[in-house]
Amino acid sequence: MNIREIAVDSLKYAKKMEHAESYVLQSVTHSAYIDGSRISNIETKIDSGMCVRVADENKPGRACVTLGDAKDSENCVNSAIRVSSFSPKNNKFKGYPMPSGPAVDVKGVFDKKIEDITGAELRDILSAVIGSCGSEIPRGLLRLSVIGSAVANSNGLLTEHRSTMMYGHFTSMFRGTRNGEGTESLHGASLTIDPEHIGKELDRKARASASAIPFKGSEKMTMILPPCELGDMIMSSAGSALNGENVFYERSPWTGKMDKEVASACLTLTDDPTTPGPLCSAFDDEGTPSQKKVLVDNGILRSFIRDSFVGNSTGNGMRRNSTDAQNVYCSSVGIRPMNMIVSKGAYSQDDIISQTDNGIFVEKFAWPEADPLTGRFGLEVRCGHIIRNGKITDTINNSLLMGNMFDALANIEFIGNDAVNIGCVTIPTMSFSGTELAGN
Amino acid sequence: MMHDLLLKAVNNMQKMGAEFCDARSQTIKNIGIQSVNGDIRHLSDRTVGGVCLRAWVNGRWGYYSSTSFNAGDVKKAAGTAVANAAGSPRGCKDLNVTEIKTKKRQGLMIHPDDVDMKEKVSAVLAVDSAQTSEKVLNRVGSYSEEITKNILMNSVGSEMEWEEVRTRFRAMSVASDGQRMERYYNGPDGTCGYELVKNLDIEALGRETAKEAVLTLNAKRTPSGPMTVISDPMVSGLLAHEVMGHASEADEVVKRRSFLTDAVGKKVASDIISMYDDGTVDGAHGTILYDDEGTPASCTQIIKNGIYTGYMHTLESASLMSVRPTGNGRSENYGKRIWARMTNTFFGPGDRTLDDLIADTKYGILCDKMVNGMEDPVGGGFEAKVLRGFLIENGKITDMLRSFTLTGRALEILGTVDAATKDIIFDGGMCGKGIEDWVNVSSGGPYCRASIIVGGG
Repeated sequence: MNIREIAVDSLKYAKKMEHAESYVLQSVTHSAYIDGSRISNIETKIDSGMCVRVADENKPGRACVTLGDAKDSENCVNSAIRVSSFSPKNNKFKGYPMPSGPAVDVKGVFDKKIEDITGAELRDILSAVIGSCGSEIPRGLLRLSVIGSAVANSNGLLTEHRSTMMYGHFTSMFRGTRNGEGTESLHGASLTIDPEHIGKELDRKARASASAIPFKGSEKMTMILPPCELGDMIMSSAGSALNGENVFYERSPWTGKMDKEVASACLTLTDDPTTPGPLCSAFDDEGTPSQKKVLVDNGILRSFIRDSFVGNSTGNGMRRNSTDAQNVYCSSVGIRPMNMIVSKGAYSQDDIISQTDNGIFVEKFAWPEADPLTGRFGLEVRCGHIIRNGKITDTINNSLLMGNMFDALANIEFIGNDAVNIGCVTIPTMSFSGTELAGN
Repeated sequence: MMHDLLLKAVNNMQKMGAEFCDARSQTIKNIGIQSVNGDIRHLSDRTVGGVCLRAWVNGRWGYYSSTSFNAGDVKKAAGTAVANAAGSPRGCKDLNVTEIKTKKRQGLMIHPDDVDMKEKVSAVLAVDSAQTSEKVLNRVGSYSEEITKNILMNSVGSEMEWEEVRTRFRAMSVASDGQRMERYYNGPDGTCGYELVKNLDIEALGRETAKEAVLTLNAKRTPSGPMTVISDPMVSGLLAHEVMGHASEADEVVKRRSFLTDAVGKKVASDIISMYDDGTVDGAHGTILYDDEGTPASCTQIIKNGIYTGYMHTLESASLMSVRPTGNGRSENYGKRIWARMTNTFFGPGDRTLDDLIADTKYGILCDKMVNGMEDPVGGGFEAKVLRGFLIENGKITDMLRSFTLTGRALEILGTVDAATKDIIFDGGMCGKGIEDWVNVSSGGPYCRASIIVGGG
């Protein structure tokens, strides 16, 4: 049986339940690794599994299995039914989505080149990255997946999605008096990779990091973040505040702020599933049609994103992620944008730097993340460039950059024109005033 | 049946040119229960399983994994694994693998399979209800159990079968005063059965968690700059794990990425510091019977009285460095790559009490619980996010401090440790290698006092 048939067929075992939903996902993944500037492991991964959700008298239950033999889907349904029998009533449960046609046309999410990739071609790509990097590449990974998923539910809903996904992560190392490290990540739905550019960027970043000196003292300055460092900062702050479940439980700092100002007037955020991002699809992972929607319009909050649990779903009930297809069917449905786009500005990175009096351009944080409840952050800068009067004067490390991301969103100075997709967000370089850098 | 299939796969890989190979099947059964504000938000039964074939040819690994595996798949799967190992030789010597024939189950008092689901749901709702308080916005209770069954066959004749069980119980409160929101969490975990919950005062856990979340609403902004810091066992463990631990994973050492390459015999910390990775600690969350290559768990001393002593190994890194494997070859599951990974990583005890340390500190910070941390095996940097802390002035705690971050160079921090307490506490969690490949671990240690850069957001 194909995934569509498995999803529909499994529902027959749940006929006595008031609500039932079956999600089936199959994937084939090819991965290649670099260890110590040499290609080491090549992997082939075949993965197939399903998740069944049921509810009777508002008592929900969920079960997931890998699909190994013909009895697995029946066993999965029976496990979900068994589990739901122990659940107390949850009056917040609203049922699963009703069938509906697509609301948007999605293109560019399946790349035949990924489907046809061979081990030899993977080796060639990684060899080109290694060959164009003047520094060492101690670790690297390129992962290519073909993903098929189907959702069927007891309301008669049936949707299917087929896509491809590319994920890459590389680290470089330049040996000097002090070793320096650079990183590069790749996200996408197609095999759009420029190995030579990746190799050169890895080399540049590793050399910059090796030349960094510890920052001394403490001062207020503008923070400039390139897309690779800003993506997770935006997702952990604005992405969390826009999440309908956080609003539902009143823990979003933007609860009650609809149509009010939450950011600088230059910020517009749109969730756009019609773009070729790795998660973009005509239906979300619950089968609700996805839609293009403005979330923040010139600094004013216009919409949250929601799934079926929160109600009035905007088609953002997701199981898939932008890095790994394995065991996706085990993930709970969570609210996530398909591709949250920050409308790009008019400035290049050089323009932004030249117009900054006193700031830091962060090449690499230890881990970019703001507290989703409070927006607070205190992040170790592993490599950053100090800017004085529009020019880079020093490259520093060993310091903490501190601030609050919700305040930063209200203090945007410039938005760049260099937007890059980082999984479920597409974002350019941006600068923010009011942060503090502290060193030893 | 599965034993026969795996054995056949091993034989096929050998015939196709594998110098060493193993075939492993794994089934992971997980029950997860989570409540929010008195409603069950998630109640799930998850069973995932699959096989992984690995072929070692000319110093390279080829992997094949699948969730579906029957007699008809064996030959093709073995061929794919061997073909994936193709390429120019990498110059590694033969692997040092010992034949083991075993069938083991972890010792438990109450196997989770023997406890009614109803009882588990009631426990979660009880800890949720116990967090009820005027200023608590979200009450969260959660329980999870994970039962992992492994079968491994390899080309030196090993035939192994073992089971591991982990349980975890948590309370988390989000408090709000209308202006600010803060959270607090608490709860035990370990390689153990349902006795983890049976032995718990659930009511007290919920009540105390809520109380601490509400108290944190009054916490002040943390001062910034270099300070005297008393790390609690969780933050001490984070320092051990993130910086010294990750940099002691030998696969980072053989490619000379780790700042601890060639460090054996060198002074890396004050005399007070000893550090271990021990996969055999009874009941700790990172304890394993065998690693995913079939090597028995062991205790590796990493630092002895300030002197660096050794690394954690896979079969491959042990071969490259001509030492014995240490049982640290671990993968997230059957579908993921095996790397050198930690188990239970911790600093050894000192001889002081916490009251002593506080009384002896003129101006400093006492940490209370970690949020997360990030490794830096190349630079030896340290970043730890701390949930909250307490300001110490003239030997007394004077204020509560809201979340902050600690940073600095690990060797400089460890060189300044001047005191540690007598008792060690472990804290379980998940550890990623870089940004993925999550495995169950724990980290811990005593309260330690050192000089660290502090920054509050």
